[in-house]
Amino acid sequence: MAKKISRVLLYLIVALGALTMLIPFLWMISTSLKSGPETIKVPPVWIPQVLRWHNYVEAFHAAPFLRYFVNSVIVTVVTTVGQLLTSILAAFAFARLRFWGKNFLFMIFLGTMMIPGEMLIIPNFVTLSKMSLVNTYGALILPWLASFFTVFTLRQTFQSTPDQIYYAAKMDGASDWKYLWTVLVPMSKSTITAVTVLEVIGSWNSFMWPLIVTNSEKMRTLPVGLQAFTTDAGTQYQLLMAASTFVIIPMVIVYMFLQKYIIAGISKAGLKG
Amino acid sequence: MKVTFKDVTLSYDGKKDTLKHLNFQIPDGTLVSLLGPSGGGKTTTLNLISGLLPATSGHIYFGDEDVTKKDALARKVGMVFQNYSLYPHLTVRDNIAFPLKMQKVKKAERYKRAEELAKLVHVDDQLDKKPGGLSGGQQQRVAIARALAKSPSLLLLDEPLSNLDARLRIEMRQEIRRIQQETGVTTIFVTHDQDEALHISDNIMVLAQGTIQQFSTPTVLYERPANLFVAKFIGEPVINTLPADALKADLVSSVPASILAQAKTAGIRSEAIVPFDNGQEMVAKIHAGLKQARKYGREATANLAYNGETLLSTEMAGLPASQTDGDFFLTKAGFFLFDEKGALIFGGDAHDE
Repeated sequence: MAKKISRVLLYLIVALGALTMLIPFLWMISTSLKSGPETIKVPPVWIPQVLRWHNYVEAFHAAPFLRYFVNSVIVTVVTTVGQLLTSILAAFAFARLRFWGKNFLFMIFLGTMMIPGEMLIIPNFVTLSKMSLVNTYGALILPWLASFFTVFTLRQTFQSTPDQIYYAAKMDGASDWKYLWTVLVPMSKSTITAVTVLEVIGSWNSFMWPLIVTNSEKMRTLPVGLQAFTTDAGTQYQLLMAASTFVIIPMVIVYMFLQKYIIAGISKAGLKG
Repeated sequence: MKVTFKDVTLSYDGKKDTLKHLNFQIPDGTLVSLLGPSGGGKTTTLNLISGLLPATSGHIYFGDEDVTKKDALARKVGMVFQNYSLYPHLTVRDNIAFPLKMQKVKKAERYKRAEELAKLVHVDDQLDKKPGGLSGGQQQRVAIARALAKSPSLLLLDEPLSNLDARLRIEMRQEIRRIQQETGVTTIFVTHDQDEALHISDNIMVLAQGTIQQFSTPTVLYERPANLFVAKFIGEPVINTLPADALKADLVSSVPASILAQAKTAGIRSEAIVPFDNGQEMVAKIHAGLKQARKYGREATANLAYNGETLLSTEMAGLPASQTDGDFFLTKAGFFLFDEKGALIFGGDAHDE
């Protein structure tokens, strides 16, 4: 009986947590269907009197969202693929290869994780402007092609695969390169999926950096594009929320399909082995 | 492929020699066990043969070719690891075919070969499963098939049975013997289990403290151990040992005085102590107390109290339960004397090498 009660209590707490996470999203969807005055009404309205689906059409035409969408896709795909490639190679080197200064280098990289991202904005901007890359895809992609967080996570997973598998592969005639791609990477599928999804979401949602390095409309990504609804005369919340909804939908879909891997991957990397 | 070691030494740290001046030859097509206690150097020896470890000095030959400087891949050896080390993300078929894939053999061809090998090791009904779905014995079979896929010059097995339960271990050692005989591949098998080595091998190399204690057939190893270490390591139950002094009075008539003078330790196999003169050649008749007589199935054992030592005999069938002491005979076969350094100086003559 006591067990049952504690179980009910547990579910109650979890459900409460889930609801807390969901409320902003529900509020966003609700607001996206309201009329202008309804959005700022006190007490707040949850269900609008008339569901204004037209808000979505209006929002979509308010800015070149198709262009932003294409930009976001390009930046996200190239960043993710590029970062994954560099990270897999670096993680393999740190996990398996022997070279001079390996541990020292690893410590230095580990140290960079303590530098707040905001501190890097100015030096990165200066570097990129010297390379005349401001306002190009290069500026949006280049700084994110390496991530030590990803390297670290993958290294932990690579290190937890038994040495004997490596020796077996060597005896079977696999080079380090072949071993990495035909054995180690497929074996680490769940971790790789997890870091991929995290990177896709992070890259898709990134706001600050694209805002800083792009000023032409052509180069903007979706999150930056959402600013179109904020003018000197105030914010059109219902349109902003409608646009936000269709901006996050691709990520929600990605997450729903892959959440199993994300959770497995993260918990695995943490426990090691 | 014949394997020859010429004065091979290995040192991990450059100071202490883990293996000292190894010289031996493994004949082509035989199954040889490397047997010894942990830390004796048997896995190290295997790694030297495979090429996973480079020799510090000396030369290793495969056939007539010097392979000392070649790595594991160039030596074309197939290896089965203790924990099988199958690729968990590949099916049995792809696991077996993996070495061929690395050699860029065409898909149809390598799958055909994989299926032949699966049949040889009796896993042809598991081809589409992944290793996680197989039992320990089946994984072992797949690992052997994978090692054989590239038609290796040698098949090396590093304690392949130690992860299996007792019954399966006996089944698998017979299987390994069968597969070895069907393929005729020279096989080197590492084990710390003397029973396993005795049952499976053509020849056994006993390794301890980095040196070869003895390298010969299972029969010779048992019937004529080169030294006290081998005598104690081979055989179940463990050979009875006692100071030679305790026995000397009873040996005067059968052992030359010159040998008796050097003898430090006597070794008596438990089946060499018999209650009746059964017509075998005897070395001594001893008077001993009888205690703890037991019977297990076909075996009747007893502990004998003799000159303050305890001797175990497994030949005590037919003795009346009430008997508390008596005269016992020591057969010549299974009786050994060792000198101060542990070398054999008497016994084992019944067998000619």
